[in-house]
Amino acid sequence: MTKLVAIDSKAHKNLIINTDKCASHAEHLNLIPVVVAELDQVALQQAIVFVKNQETGAFTLSALMGFEQTENLFYQQNQWQGIYLPLQVQRQPFFVGDTQSNQSQYSICINLDSTAIENDANLTDSNNLKSLFTTEGKDSDYFVQIKQCLGYLLQGELDNEKLIESLLSLDLMQTVSLDVTFCNGKKIALKGLYTIDKEKLAALSAEHIVKLHQQQLLPAIYTIIFSLGQIYPLIERKNALLNNTNDNV
Amino acid sequence: MNLQNKKIKTVVIVGGGIAGWLTAGRLAADHKSSNDNGLKVVLVESPNVPIIGVGEGTWPTMRSTLIALGISETDFIRECDASFKQGAKFAKWVDASQNDFYYHPLVLPQGFTQTDMAGHWLQRQQQEESFSNAVCYQEAICEQGLAPKTIRTPEYGAIANYAYHLDSAKFAVFLQKHCTTKLGVTHVLADVTQINSGENGDIASVTTKQKGVIAGDLFVDCTGFSSLLLGQHYNVPFKPCDDILFIDTALAVQVPYDNEDDEIASHTISTAQEAGWIWDIGLQHRRGVGYVYSSKYSSEAQARERLKEYVGDKIASLTIRKIPIKSGHRSHFWQNNCVAVGLSAGFLEPLEASALVLVEMSAQMISQQLPQTREIMDVTAKRFNDTFLYRWGKIIDFLKLHYILSTRDDNAFWTDNRNPKTIPQSLQELMKLWRYRAPADHDFASNNEVFPAASYQYVLYGMGYKSDYSHTPYVLDDNAFAQSQFDKNKSMKAQAITNLPRNRELLNKIKRYGFSTI
Repeated sequence: MTKLVAIDSKAHKNLIINTDKCASHAEHLNLIPVVVAELDQVALQQAIVFVKNQETGAFTLSALMGFEQTENLFYQQNQWQGIYLPLQVQRQPFFVGDTQSNQSQYSICINLDSTAIENDANLTDSNNLKSLFTTEGKDSDYFVQIKQCLGYLLQGELDNEKLIESLLSLDLMQTVSLDVTFCNGKKIALKGLYTIDKEKLAALSAEHIVKLHQQQLLPAIYTIIFSLGQIYPLIERKNALLNNTNDNV
Repeated sequence: MNLQNKKIKTVVIVGGGIAGWLTAGRLAADHKSSNDNGLKVVLVESPNVPIIGVGEGTWPTMRSTLIALGISETDFIRECDASFKQGAKFAKWVDASQNDFYYHPLVLPQGFTQTDMAGHWLQRQQQEESFSNAVCYQEAICEQGLAPKTIRTPEYGAIANYAYHLDSAKFAVFLQKHCTTKLGVTHVLADVTQINSGENGDIASVTTKQKGVIAGDLFVDCTGFSSLLLGQHYNVPFKPCDDILFIDTALAVQVPYDNEDDEIASHTISTAQEAGWIWDIGLQHRRGVGYVYSSKYSSEAQARERLKEYVGDKIASLTIRKIPIKSGHRSHFWQNNCVAVGLSAGFLEPLEASALVLVEMSAQMISQQLPQTREIMDVTAKRFNDTFLYRWGKIIDFLKLHYILSTRDDNAFWTDNRNPKTIPQSLQELMKLWRYRAPADHDFASNNEVFPAASYQYVLYGMGYKSDYSHTPYVLDDNAFAQSQFDKNKSMKAQAITNLPRNRELLNKIKRYGFSTI
């Protein structure tokens, strides 16, 4: 189990994070949650899809990284291979926790089991090694950036909800069904992924479209629709990997 | 105006139980009652007559009925105390021994449409696996207390086919609200005091104590056992079938769960007793339990004792309701411009939850075949009567099948049930056919059969019947294919057990989060 503790400027004074290793948290994720604010960057390489939360059945927004449950085709040879690293990964190994005393206040927690934490006390700040606090006990630039990142994610959750709610109320959600055959002959049927129904979107009344425009949801909607095509480069990525593996054998 | 050309514009439904509201809802939804040019649907309901809560079990058809009415499954489950039903478990029906049980699941046998899986299973009986377990993954799901779907499955979508258990009183209220607020059904709370005939013997109107005269073109009798229009007004005779099905009394009790998180069975449990059987239906907040028995073979005191044994000591603090049962149906159901739906048409012991499905089928046929003019109605009526006489007959046969395959002899109730004189000719003929092969689709004449051949297979082979294939061994030549289907079922079973949540857990999630529509 992951062990989360609240960050404390005294207790974690000497903590060093190896930012090169943060992306390793995504190594086994075939779906990485994303937020509306970062869709443009995500869509450069990944298909953005809706999936249902296993616990609640609620729709969530995610970037598709692989075809098997633990396959991330953008994390290979122990490093992130993509152009853009989603906020959900950037913020590793930090989390937002509710402080028990005050529900409206958030506290920042760290996963102490994370491999990105360097335990060597002799390490000092460098390109990829970052402390959380300055020698004066103030937040380091790195930690400020992490806090910002977590802030975007919190806001992003609300943006996502607003988008999903609008899509559901206009009945614009559609299942993605795709049968894929890889170069090694293996077949899979993509299941449990949803996107936005282009035809229903095109058939919306002017009134509804204006409303989506006013809610500033149209860019996200078109980005999500456009991004679905990234499934094909993802298939190529998988085929290339399969070919490489074969060559090596 | 020529009466024959009279248009059918207003349907008056008398009675507001589930039968009344389901019929009203189906008609109003299909015939656009909320539009000005739609069919006018009026439901007259007595403010004083209590609703009889028949059968809390449905068939999977209820899902399509609710969809047709435009009802959200989440709302339905939340408001009707509903839970999932994945078929029935019949315990102690064969020889009353400790491990005597079999399932009638709702998923067709694996490979059913491609080969004779029953025949193949009979050949492999040394494997000691029950028929339903060998060909269907649903028994395993039920035995483990799992739900037929997950919170990620869309509304009305299924991983394993399912029906519902529901609180019938809550369901009637729920339907009433939906029909009146969404579907444009007019609700009149009034007691019918008089039925007024027109010149051709049709019902022209009903007079009510509180709201005057209500006229209509078609009247639907949903007045329950009293059968006010069809039985009392038209004197259409009741055809009892107590010579075939002996049950004549029910003792019903509502049993609360001991703990809030007690398991909820996702199947109906039917446990045979000395003179009948006990139903056990798990809802969200309570179980509905009842002993249906024949008073010819058991005293009421004995019956109460059996029920107490089943429920346990806590029964002392619960209210037991005694309901007389008259097994049988009217000789026909549609007379002139009056059609009976629900208990007014007939009643059979709830062994296979046939009450609500007959209501759904009746409402569907009336709605789909709704005559445009009075002239057409006589044709519709004849077809309706033929269809439903056939269906009642088939249900009686199917219920009787459960009794004739038993080897119990602890009471004359069981041995008398096997007396050929009590077995309908039609069932005896079917049994003759199945001596040498499994039930098949063409054994049944209707294209909308109540029970499919698979249901007969589940009961027949669940109860240990052996069809003898020695005359036609070649029909089982495709051994390898059959084996692949048995194997497929095994892997589907393993998959279902890994992926499906506990029944109670899913119901709790539905209350919290609800299903999405896609």
